[in-house]
Amino acid sequence: MLKLEELKELITLIDQSSIDEFDYETEGEKVSLRKLKEEVVQVTQQAPQQVMNAPQAPAAPAQQEQPAVPAPAPEAAKNYDSEITSLMVGTFYSKPNPDSEDFIKVGDRVEKDTVVCIVEAMKLFNEITADVTGEIVEVLVENGELVEYGQPLFRVKAN
Amino acid sequence: MDTTRNRLIRVLQEHEGAYVSGQYLSDQLGISRAAIWKHMKALEADGYEIDAVPRKGYQVRQSPDKLSKNTLNWQLDTSWIGRKIIFEKEIDSTQMLAKALADQGAAHGTVVLADKQTSGKGTKGRSWHSPAGTGIWMSLIIRPEFGPREAAQLTLAAAVALTRAFRKEGIDAEIKWPNDIYLNEKKLAGILTEMQAEQDYIHHIVLGIGININQKEKDLPPDIRDKATSLHIETQKEWKRQELIHLIWKELESVYAHYTKAGFASIREEWMQLASRLGRRVKVTTPTAIFEAVFQGIGAEGELLLEKTDGLTQRIYSAELEWIEE
Repeated sequence: MLKLEELKELITLIDQSSIDEFDYETEGEKVSLRKLKEEVVQVTQQAPQQVMNAPQAPAAPAQQEQPAVPAPAPEAAKNYDSEITSLMVGTFYSKPNPDSEDFIKVGDRVEKDTVVCIVEAMKLFNEITADVTGEIVEVLVENGELVEYGQPLFRVKAN
Repeated sequence: MDTTRNRLIRVLQEHEGAYVSGQYLSDQLGISRAAIWKHMKALEADGYEIDAVPRKGYQVRQSPDKLSKNTLNWQLDTSWIGRKIIFEKEIDSTQMLAKALADQGAAHGTVVLADKQTSGKGTKGRSWHSPAGTGIWMSLIIRPEFGPREAAQLTLAAAVALTRAFRKEGIDAEIKWPNDIYLNEKKLAGILTEMQAEQDYIHHIVLGIGININQKEKDLPPDIRDKATSLHIETQKEWKRQELIHLIWKELESVYAHYTKAGFASIREEWMQLASRLGRRVKVTTPTAIFEAVFQGIGAEGELLLEKTDGLTQRIYSAELEWIEE
């Protein structure tokens, strides 16, 4: 498994490059780095505890002095406390069936046993519950999208 | 479970085709002849046809197709599936009850079965027409040792088990990806699998199976008659549900043991042998697109492999397939 320092270095390098996506796989370990529209760099490793996020602030202009390793995100910049992730590769469904309302939307309060979505692969349906109490501050995927194992689906702010 | 009722059933079974005296049964089971008579009445209520002739005794004429806990226990020789059976004459959905029981801690192998479902569940919120006395509607609770990442292949493994069971009965069923069972190009059985899990731990999987057995054409809702069928419609024969259920449970146990020991690779091969329309063009509807492609088979995770018109292979985890007439 990659060391934290190596990961940080990877993030920095990719952040500064023109690469939008980076995938790396070896012996059952998989690292996917993706730049999202708002210049957020997202790191997903297959072990569930390895999900980390780089600062959400836009990348600094190149001429500015850059630290070798990105500084940890200031507390204020991070507006969530935890993420709800997928347990398997499959299709993300935001609603129980095509004609119904979404299970939850941004601003909704969730309890531990609140169903937030379904992930399905090969007709195995996994109802995902929040497992935390708080408020949904971000929905990271769209209905019908293919998600990876460990991919963050929602962000939750505890309150 | 060796209840008096089960022992009585066994003694009668051993003497199939002959009369067994009330006195003999009373001696064998160590209960009074009046108690024997009461048990016989209960068996009749379960659907057994019993001849009671004075001075000759009792004879079971026919083991019943009527389902009950007793008939399901009759000659059951599985090792874990159906060791606990919850049978309901009528229920909203076996899947809903099984999920509720699983949440309350019901054991690995528990099966919820009903003679009739008033709101049987299909996939994506669709319903499954499940009238009384005609089909097999059951939900099996599984508490696997493997983690959630290995769970999805279980649905394909279950389809292999079902198809094996049908083929043992001389029924030429085929699998439509990932786990529908088809006979003569019409849907015979469906599987709905739901999982409750955490990151690396599965609380439970509920495997729901619906099979059309003895429906006649007129028993099927008109809107599905061109797409669905039953064993009876295809074979012109009445089938004993209880025997088929036991056969399916045995095959499920065998496939499950294989899967947990050797992984999906070996089952994958068998799945491909039993699959319908391999190598042919199909219409594919995914949550985001509809297109035609050649069905190449399945990948290591059971995902659909399609060759698109540009010659590239696409892997699909969620889709509905439709056959194209060529």
